[in-house]
Amino acid sequence: MPDRSLRPPAGAVRPFQLPEVRSVRTSEGLEIRSMARGGVPLVSVALVVEAGEVRCAPGEEGIAVLTGDALQGGTLRRTGAELAEALEGYGSGIRVSTGWDASTVGFTCLADRLEAVLALLAEVVREPSFPAPEVERMRSQRLAAIRQRKMDPAGLADDELDSDVFPPTHPFHRPLGGTETSVAALGRDRVAAFAGEAYSRVGAGAVMVGDLSPDQVLDLASRHFGSWPAGAMGGGAVPETPSGGGRAVRIVHRPGAVQSELRLGEPGPPRGHPDEIPLRVANAVLGGAFTSRLNMNLREKHGFTYGVRSAFEARRDGGLFSVGTSVQTEVTAPALAEALAELERFAASGPEPDEVAKARDYLAGVFPLRMETTAQLAARLTELIIYRLPNDHHHRYRDRVRAVDVETARAAVARHVHPERMSVVIVGDADRVAGPVESLGVGPVSIEGR
Amino acid sequence: MISIPLTRHELSNGLTVVLAPDSAVPIVAVNVWYKVGSRNEREGRTGFAHLFEHMMFQGSAHVPKGGHFELLEAAGGSMNGSTWFDRTNYFETLPAHELDLALWLEADRMGWLLPAVDQEKLDNQRDVVKNERRQRYENQPYGDWDERMQALLYPPDHPYHHTVIGSMADLSAASLEDVEAFFRTYYQPGNAVLTLAGDFDPADAFSRVERYFGDIPPGAPVPPVPGRTDIDAVIGGTVRDEVRAAVPLPRVYVGVRIPPYTDSDFHAADVASSVLGDGRASRLYRRLVREKRVAKDVVAYAAPLVTGRAFMILWATGFPGTDATELERAVAEELEALGDVEPAEVERAVTRSETQLVQEIEQLSSRADRLSMHQTIFGDASHLTQEIEHLRRVTAADVGAFARSSLGPDNRAVVVYLPEGKR
Repeated sequence: MPDRSLRPPAGAVRPFQLPEVRSVRTSEGLEIRSMARGGVPLVSVALVVEAGEVRCAPGEEGIAVLTGDALQGGTLRRTGAELAEALEGYGSGIRVSTGWDASTVGFTCLADRLEAVLALLAEVVREPSFPAPEVERMRSQRLAAIRQRKMDPAGLADDELDSDVFPPTHPFHRPLGGTETSVAALGRDRVAAFAGEAYSRVGAGAVMVGDLSPDQVLDLASRHFGSWPAGAMGGGAVPETPSGGGRAVRIVHRPGAVQSELRLGEPGPPRGHPDEIPLRVANAVLGGAFTSRLNMNLREKHGFTYGVRSAFEARRDGGLFSVGTSVQTEVTAPALAEALAELERFAASGPEPDEVAKARDYLAGVFPLRMETTAQLAARLTELIIYRLPNDHHHRYRDRVRAVDVETARAAVARHVHPERMSVVIVGDADRVAGPVESLGVGPVSIEGR
Repeated sequence: MISIPLTRHELSNGLTVVLAPDSAVPIVAVNVWYKVGSRNEREGRTGFAHLFEHMMFQGSAHVPKGGHFELLEAAGGSMNGSTWFDRTNYFETLPAHELDLALWLEADRMGWLLPAVDQEKLDNQRDVVKNERRQRYENQPYGDWDERMQALLYPPDHPYHHTVIGSMADLSAASLEDVEAFFRTYYQPGNAVLTLAGDFDPADAFSRVERYFGDIPPGAPVPPVPGRTDIDAVIGGTVRDEVRAAVPLPRVYVGVRIPPYTDSDFHAADVASSVLGDGRASRLYRRLVREKRVAKDVVAYAAPLVTGRAFMILWATGFPGTDATELERAVAEELEALGDVEPAEVERAVTRSETQLVQEIEQLSSRADRLSMHQTIFGDASHLTQEIEHLRRVTAADVGAFARSSLGPDNRAVVVYLPEGKR
């Protein structure tokens, strides 16, 4: 019989060896990073193209996202419908993910179909035809999606926070996919021109994960992309974000809302900042795990919410530190007070040694969970390209996490957590929450939409 | 095509154990399926199975409140649980050398939850669940669609008539006595399947399972599912619910009664839903999104339920100016046209499902869950590996026959959302 009163002892740690990341280059200089993964009959491939939203000109916000959407509208050889039938006939599909910094175009497929699907990927990236009806269709879908997001309280809260944290002249001020005004003005010619500039190079890099040797990877890449010029990741397109003034609260009115979406935020450091790993550890303590201070307070102690989280979202140039939760309307003011109290306590004295130790253990321990599948591994490799990280970046992650001590974590918190100047956004019923929130006296309160 | 080496065992207390070793990554996924869900809830206690699931994370006889999350996160694990119509599952993935921790936690709450249950925890988790209901159902556009849909698809005395989340009134009424009774009735080893997938030696792992779970006492036979499960194969007509609400775009949901997952005819329904709405070569996408442009997105899926009749759901979201009647008619046209489905469409749908299934079982957590599912429903975890063969046996004639028997206006539940201020 086990002694159930004691947590069972752990066995001997079994080291997790992440497979090596190898690099090969085509004759044109396209770098392909790959990881060999046996045992599963799947391959994941992605091309990273420097075609993110930071490239867009003023007034054309959303052009990169729309161009990404429209890539599969047709190629020089086949219509969009024929393309879909071909891809899905192989059990696959091309996924385009356009962010601020880059556009990733890729797929996962069963290994015996790799040649065929890779050929289709190359065709889509190099020979898109952008038929006008398809571009118009994608534009209508984007406009409808923008409208949907405005009525989704969580998405709206995220966008409203961005517009408070980043000034109007800053790229991150507006939603990633653009506004109804900017997207309505985009048409086939602009999309084709944008693609001509951004996609004329086959990519800033590519990734392949599967049961492939580096020779096989180079052979595949050379045959499918080899004759096209490689691109490069640019950068530095994003200005510094000025630190804000004092704290201010903005309530975006949603009449009759039974929950308030609460967001607090301030500019955060970019990827590659020396504080990045210490902040990951510190954030796990504050609001990046179920047992975090914010979650234990707002959910488990007070029952204010189904969940609350904090995050340092690091982009290539700049980033966002935010706290987010959805709380019952009646408790909006007390929930905001508790969230601020936790932030102030955290900013003032940082995490405790035992919290830092647990956070390190947690982050190091869950590391393999994001490295299980071919698709996950391909995503990890695309991060190396987008953020210009070395091939051993993920291999060194756990050691860097384990090296964070409480002083380092506290110093990073002091540099990057400033509750006294965070923007606060509440998407909720202003008739019911404005009064109690004003009474908190946490900053000037403005109300919109009433 | 898919091969998962596994062994199955049954403990003397009735617990079924599935072991699927795989040493590719030094982690292990631990998964428990209890054969209880919203379908087992008695009248006046909708949402209780899910509320009970929350209580299972609040500690047990030897695990303090908060201990479950603390211990697993400190060990480098991720964990969660979920409640559905036919079952409740609990799962964690953690470094392989901490297997005992997961086994200890799962065994302690399977065998000895009640000493840790108190009114304060129940009240707190009731608030959390109410927030979940508000966040998902009441604060979001289209949030209550399944509440409306289930009420149309199933008669009031069928266990699927009500939602998993339940009603606010019933959540408020839940008592400690209910928690105790529910635990004794349903949370017993004979009503559970434990699956381990990942890096372990099967003989060693089994001895550990026996060690932690072996002396959990068996329970009494589980009562039958309440209500009337034996309902007609078709609804009997087209039933509708039209809602004017704070939604950005018109949307039409269509629900169809289909054979249960345990019936071999389910696979034809599954393939039919893929042909209709999975991917850009699907019929709904091709006709409604690409050609007619009455919809901006379409969804279709068949739910693998086992209590009486399962359901297929389709939905199409219109544009701001889309006429909802036209949208509904366009969906109906495709349902009625599916009788002429072509072999190439069936082939494509099955090929997609194949890649999706291979991807799903690539991840240990979902592999373990699928194994628990097949063990629970079919009494045979390895039935999972035959899923693709079952799909491959579906012919265009099968899908056509299904379409003619089940996709007509005599078997249609329609929920329409109209933006406020629009006709």
